Amino acid sequence: MAKVDDEKLAYTKDLPGASPNDPVYFENEVIDHLLGIVLELGAQQWVLRDRLAFLEEQLAANGSVSLEELDQGRPSEALQKRLDEERQDMIYKVYGRLYKRIGGDKAKAAAAIMG
Amino acid sequence: MSAEQANVEKALYGRGKVAGVYPSLSNRPDEAYIEFIEDARNILLHAQQRPIGQYSEQLMREADMSMAPDPASTAAARDFLMRDPTLKTYYRLKRSLQESFWNALSGSFNRRREAILDALEAAEAEGPGTLAYDKEGARPVPDYATKEIHIQPGGYANEPLAGLYYDYGLKVFLGGAADFDRLSKGVAMATAMPDDGKVERILDLGVSAGATSIALKEKYPDAEVWGIDISAPMVRYAHVRAQQAGVELHLRQMPAEELDFPDNHFDAVLAMLLFHELPVPVAKEVIAEVLRVLRPGGKFTVLDFSGDRSRGVYNMFFAEMDAADNGEPYLTEYVRSNVEDLLVEAGFELESYDPATALMRGRVAVKPLA
Repeated sequence: MAKVDDEKLAYTKDLPGASPNDPVYFENEVIDHLLGIVLELGAQQWVLRDRLAFLEEQLAANGSVSLEELDQGRPSEALQKRLDEERQDMIYKVYGRLYKRIGGDKAKAAAAIMG
Repeated sequence: MSAEQANVEKALYGRGKVAGVYPSLSNRPDEAYIEFIEDARNILLHAQQRPIGQYSEQLMREADMSMAPDPASTAAARDFLMRDPTLKTYYRLKRSLQESFWNALSGSFNRRREAILDALEAAEAEGPGTLAYDKEGARPVPDYATKEIHIQPGGYANEPLAGLYYDYGLKVFLGGAADFDRLSKGVAMATAMPDDGKVERILDLGVSAGATSIALKEKYPDAEVWGIDISAPMVRYAHVRAQQAGVELHLRQMPAEELDFPDNHFDAVLAMLLFHELPVPVAKEVIAEVLRVLRPGGKFTVLDFSGDRSRGVYNMFFAEMDAADNGEPYLTEYVRSNVEDLLVEAGFELESYDPATALMRGRVAVKPLA
């Protein structure tokens, strides 16, 4: 498709990041795995908490709820707002300590900087 | 609504749109998972960028390390900084969160993969706008464009759902900064137009999910807006995105280094976050092609990261970590190329560039009148 000579670009195959890697940052890769596990458990725990709150909202409003609604529906705007706040609180509370020595445990949540 | 449009609505937007523009995930648990990951990124990565940067530079100064951005100093910085447990933690979390959101997004969209593929196919014949791509796969995409950029599963070119992955992935990656197409609207504002005010045709290079082209068409409704991408899945998805916005785009699968347009054809060309995904030899070809297809007085806006001249060693280290572990194979050589130099070497006049606003205001280059 392109006129740029593939042979000329052969070096790109060897650049860092050209192939999927599996980086290990700690001296013992078990620590890398444990941090990944702790993140995944936090996410899974949050999914359960979100579902429970949504279930409770549905039951309080309607007295019953279908599995279809739990899977395909969404919390009300008010509940979503509460969940957004609780989720951020949980992340600070559980993981913030990882950055305590640099003061990052109190750093304000922010979208990516595009400046 | 036509049967094809109804098909798209059901397959892509069956649970409505997220943040105004994104196809919904397949169920609430998938959505809750992604909301957690997006918040975790905002708190554990974006919010930490400044404290981590200050801490790193302090460590380096205390150790009397070179603060110059040259390759040797950058390599030394990496060896030194990556002994620190807080930095190890930051980069471990960064990688794990990246893997988590790609796994979750691809898993969620794949729950209804066949329905989405059918809808993309059905949408092709519908307007507004036009779409053309290499449907038979007769011309292979060059190797450099098949890498798993940002470790996106399958890369941009070889995964049929790449457009959906990329679009929602960008939302999570930027922590909501692109929601409601806010980012693209800002990009359209920053895209420079010729001084004589004549804007008949605009070209958007590396159109990906189509958001910037849509914003350009909305800002310049009387102009023809063309969007090209080397990836067929991207232009196919961008076509659906444009249909949803109700704007007429002309989308083509085409490498930016081989533009199938006449000389002096466009009034303005945009490259938003394209150049750092290109090897430098390809970047030079792209710039030569843009110079050819722009009319005299036409303007080329390049929104992308700053070069190494305006960076300290910590920023180079940060870029090199991204290159190695976040699927950005061409980022380091892009940064070291200082793309504004490549523009001038090719024959453009550099009209404006401030490294501090490289991403939102960019480099603006003009094709000389004579």
